[in-house]
Amino acid sequence: MSHLFSRQTFLGKDSEKLFGEIRVGIVGLGGGGSHIAQQSAHVGVGRFAIFDPDFTDFPNLNRTVGATFADAVAKTPKVVVAERMIMGINPHAEVWPIQAEWQSDFPALRACDVVFGCIDGFSGRAQLEESCRRAMIPLIDIGMDVHKGDPYSISGQVVMSMPGLPCFRCMGFIRQKDLDDEGRRYGEAGGNPQVVWSNGVLASTAVGLFVQTVTPWCRIHPASAFVGYDGDRFTLEHDGRLTVTGRTQCGHFSGIGDLGDPFWKP
Amino acid sequence: MNVHFKITTGLLDGIFADLRRPHPFASERAAFIGCKASRCRDGNLILAHTYLPLPDDWYVDDPRFGCVFSADAMRTAMQFALTEDASMFHVHLHDYGGAPWFSRPDLRESSKFVPDFWNVKPDLPHGTLVLSPDGAAGLCWYPHQKTPLRIRKVTALGFPMRFLGGAR
Repeated sequence: MSHLFSRQTFLGKDSEKLFGEIRVGIVGLGGGGSHIAQQSAHVGVGRFAIFDPDFTDFPNLNRTVGATFADAVAKTPKVVVAERMIMGINPHAEVWPIQAEWQSDFPALRACDVVFGCIDGFSGRAQLEESCRRAMIPLIDIGMDVHKGDPYSISGQVVMSMPGLPCFRCMGFIRQKDLDDEGRRYGEAGGNPQVVWSNGVLASTAVGLFVQTVTPWCRIHPASAFVGYDGDRFTLEHDGRLTVTGRTQCGHFSGIGDLGDPFWKP
Repeated sequence: MNVHFKITTGLLDGIFADLRRPHPFASERAAFIGCKASRCRDGNLILAHTYLPLPDDWYVDDPRFGCVFSADAMRTAMQFALTEDASMFHVHLHDYGGAPWFSRPDLRESSKFVPDFWNVKPDLPHGTLVLSPDGAAGLCWYPHQKTPLRIRKVTALGFPMRFLGGAR
C-alpha cells in the first residue's frame, strides 16, 4: 500500500490495486455526479468513463464540484471540468470523457465495472438500468428533490441495482405509474431545484456503498440497497419497500435474452 | 483483445456446490455454462446465465483422466447453444487456493471440443473456465481465430463483488 492511501489500509491490502483497475462510469456530472467523480478519484479509482452532453453555466455553480466562475464564463463542457478534477487528484487516471448522452456510446458504458447514475427522471433511470443489466453492471442511482409546498421539503434516495438481485421495479423505486405520469409531463419547462449539501450527502452515501460492495470493511452486506434521505431531518434510512415485497431475486431481468447484445458479431 | 467474464455470485456459488459433489468414479466434475456476449470499448464481455450440470451417468470411466464426459453432455450443450443463441463455456474446479490454471490434458482436450461449438454457433465466442475457491482463469475461442484468448478478468457480481483474476 503506497503512502498515498495509507489512511485507508482498513479496506484491505489489495484495495489500492483493485481500485486502480476498476472502471467507474458516471452518467451525469451535475450536482451529484461531480461529487462522485471527486470522491472516486480520492478513493483511488483509476479508470473512468464520464458522460454528460452539457456545458457549465452559472446556475450550475451552486452545486457542481470542481466548476469555477471561469468555467461558467467559458461554457466549459462538464466532462472537461470533471476530467480536470479527477486528473488533479490522480494524474495517472485514465478518463474517457464522453460529451454526449450516454446512449451515444454504449461500448464505453459496457466497459464499466460499476456505474453511477446521476440523472433526472424515471424513464432515463429505467433505460440506464436496462442497459446496465444487459451488461451485468451494478448501477448505483442517486437523486434528490425539493418538494414545493409550505414549507419546502427536501428528500432523496440512493438505490443500488445489482445483477441477479432485485431491480428498481422489484424495489418499488420505479413504477409504471411514475413512467406514465412522466410521459404525460414530457416537455414541461424548468429545472428542478438542486442544492449542494444534499447532493453531497447522497453522493457520499453512494460512494460508500460502492466501496463497501467492492472492498467491504465490515461484514454487513445489504441484501438490498435502497436508502431514503430525509433532507429536512438530516437522516438516511433503509427504505422498507423491498422488505414488504419479500423479493430476493429479480423477476424483470432474469431471462437469458435479457443479457448481452441482441445481434452480437465478432 | 480483452475478454471479461461476468457471473452472479448466486450462480457461482451454485456451480461450486455442484462441482464439489463426489462422483461415483470420476475424480472431478465438469459442466457447461450458457452465456451471452456483449461488445465493449476495450473488448468483449462474456455474461454467464445458465448452468448445465452433467448427470452422473454422462461421465465415462477413464482412469487416465480426472473427468471424461460422454457425447450426451456435448449434445446437450450444443443444443442449448443452438436454441438459446448462446456462447458455451466448459467449467471445472481445482479445489485448492490460489490462481488456478489448466493442466496439459485440460488444454489439449478443450482445444478439441470447444471449437466444436462453432458447428452450431460459428459466430459466437466459446471457451473454458477453471475455478478455484478464490480464483478463476479461462480461455476464449473467438470466432474465426484458431488460438484462444486468455480471459483477462473474471468478476462475480453480488455483495460483495468478487474479483477472481483472469489472465495468468
